[in-house]
Amino acid sequence: MRTLEISNLHKEFVDAYTGQTVVAVGDVSFSIEQGEFVSVLGPSGCGKTTVLNIVAGFDTQTSGSVLVGGKQVDGPSPERGVVFQSFALFPWKTVLGNVTFGLRMRGVPRADREAVAHQYLELVGLQGFEAKYPHELSGGMQQRLGVARVLANEPEVMLMDEPFASVDAQTRRKLQEELTGIFETKRPTVFFVTHDVDEAVFLADRVVVLSSRPSQVAEIVTVPLERPRHWRSALDNPDFRHTVTYLTDLLAAGEPNADESEDAPETSAAAGAVGEG
Amino acid sequence: MTNITPSTSGAGQPHPKPGPPKARFRPWLVRMGENRVVRTFGPFVPVILLWWIIAELEVFPSAFFVGPGTVFEKFDELIAKGILPAYLGDSLERLFYGVLFGMLIGVPAGFIVAMSAWARKLTWPLLMFFQAIADIAWLPIVIVWFGFSLTAVTFVIVYTIVFPLMISIVSGVEQVPRDVVRAARSLGAGRLQVFTEVILPGALPAVATGIRTGLGYGWRALIAAEIIVGTSGVGFLMFDSRRAQEVTGVFVGMIVLGVLWFALDALVLAPFERRTIERWGMIRTAEAGR
Ligand SMILES: Nc1ncnc2c1ncn2[C@@H]1O[C@H](COP(=O)(O)OP(=O)(O)O)[C@@H](O)[C@H]1O
Ligand SMILES: [Mg+2]
Repeated sequence: MRTLEISNLHKEFVDAYTGQTVVAVGDVSFSIEQGEFVSVLGPSGCGKTTVLNIVAGFDTQTSGSVLVGGKQVDGPSPERGVVFQSFALFPWKTVLGNVTFGLRMRGVPRADREAVAHQYLELVGLQGFEAKYPHELSGGMQQRLGVARVLANEPEVMLMDEPFASVDAQTRRKLQEELTGIFETKRPTVFFVTHDVDEAVFLADRVVVLSSRPSQVAEIVTVPLERPRHWRSALDNPDFRHTVTYLTDLLAAGEPNADESEDAPETSAAAGAVGEG
Repeated sequence: MTNITPSTSGAGQPHPKPGPPKARFRPWLVRMGENRVVRTFGPFVPVILLWWIIAELEVFPSAFFVGPGTVFEKFDELIAKGILPAYLGDSLERLFYGVLFGMLIGVPAGFIVAMSAWARKLTWPLLMFFQAIADIAWLPIVIVWFGFSLTAVTFVIVYTIVFPLMISIVSGVEQVPRDVVRAARSLGAGRLQVFTEVILPGALPAVATGIRTGLGYGWRALIAAEIIVGTSGVGFLMFDSRRAQEVTGVFVGMIVLGVLWFALDALVLAPFERRTIERWGMIRTAEAGR
């Protein structure tokens, strides 16, 4: 069953100052099956966040359609939980208060929502931190709380927009590995946006590659890796390396020209070495 | 007054390179600095000492400048006669009503203007205009309207508090991160819940700053109003003493004003902020008066 179906999504922004029209999303179509982990990969500025915001209901498309569970998306909904790069936790609520927030909004009784919360806090390794405030946690722990807060709501799809981009490299690896572990136990449906090729491949069942603006789906690549996954074995795995190289080349080919004006991801630097010139 | 609990430990950490002569001296000073009472009242010791020395040396004639001893005697006398307690009570009552009505008007008005784009467009120029008219500039017309009464004084305080409060709230609501509002929405919060669960607490640092600023202005406006409208109160006490060529009373009034603001901050504002904003790790919008 298809949990998420995006068809011919197109989005234009009108610049508030110049009045010019910017095409943020050209023509994007793909779908995500229930219990599937899909990475959406593309260069910075290609419209990944815009697609995610439309799916989340924060923004509306110029044309095209987004169906979640067969229903047209109309505004934000707990069926589409979002994990933010900025964490976006509630600083005035404890860890427990953050995790139970969604259930409380939907009127779940206290005892029930706390039982669910404890289960998910344990899943992300935050048991014992219930009474802490977010600022007392490390960046990695804050984002684990961000994940637990969404999963406790049991959404149809979890949307993640470069969730590990603002933690240090070491922690990022650890969080990625933990996320695969959580995915393997709970099997949520995940829409994961990133510009990091390694991350996209390591986490996903399939990688949707977007071309640079006006973005289109360049290719959808199935990741030939077994689960459970671990960084150590993945890095030694030829299949993993081939997929990464293939995607890196694909992104490099999609670059409109050699100029590095925008904050080009590190992947393009790596691709430069491989490129045939 | 700085942070009490969390950062004090920092002061006790070894300093990078204590020079040999200072090495013996420093731990003693540092230990003193960790004591809350010492930290609060310590800085006043040299000031009072200096005051006392200047008075003892009789640099100025006593009709202009009196020492701490004289002021303390006067203070004692005013308390014994019941004048100071009565005047202080009057001033605090006026401040209380002014602040109460100021907040009752300013907080909801601030949130309405902050939450509704068209209310903001409609009222912003008015807000700017009326904020620009100094509070005391209203006194002449207020006295015409309400006479020399509690209403007149309250009006001025309310007026002083409402505008800074509204403007702080508007900027506070604007500072609530967009992602946090979005997170609440996609966790199932409706519009009203977003307001009560996210906007209100999110704007709290700014509201606290607004109340602090407003109170400070209100306090000053009160004294000014009492000096002009005055029939009683600390401001009136000072004005009345001056009229009687009696500087000691003026000194007493000035000290009472300072101590009261200090107490208000230490007993009400600071603990409130410590329990909310600091505990949540949210940045205070301003460090005014701390
Ligand atoms: N609110 C907006 N108004 C105008 N232009 C926008 C807005 N949001 C995004 N854009 C533009 O749309 C393009 C895609 O942005 P975004 O979706 O954030 O890319 P990505 O997440 O892939 O880096 C960018 O060129 C950006 O400048
Ligand atoms: Mg983005």
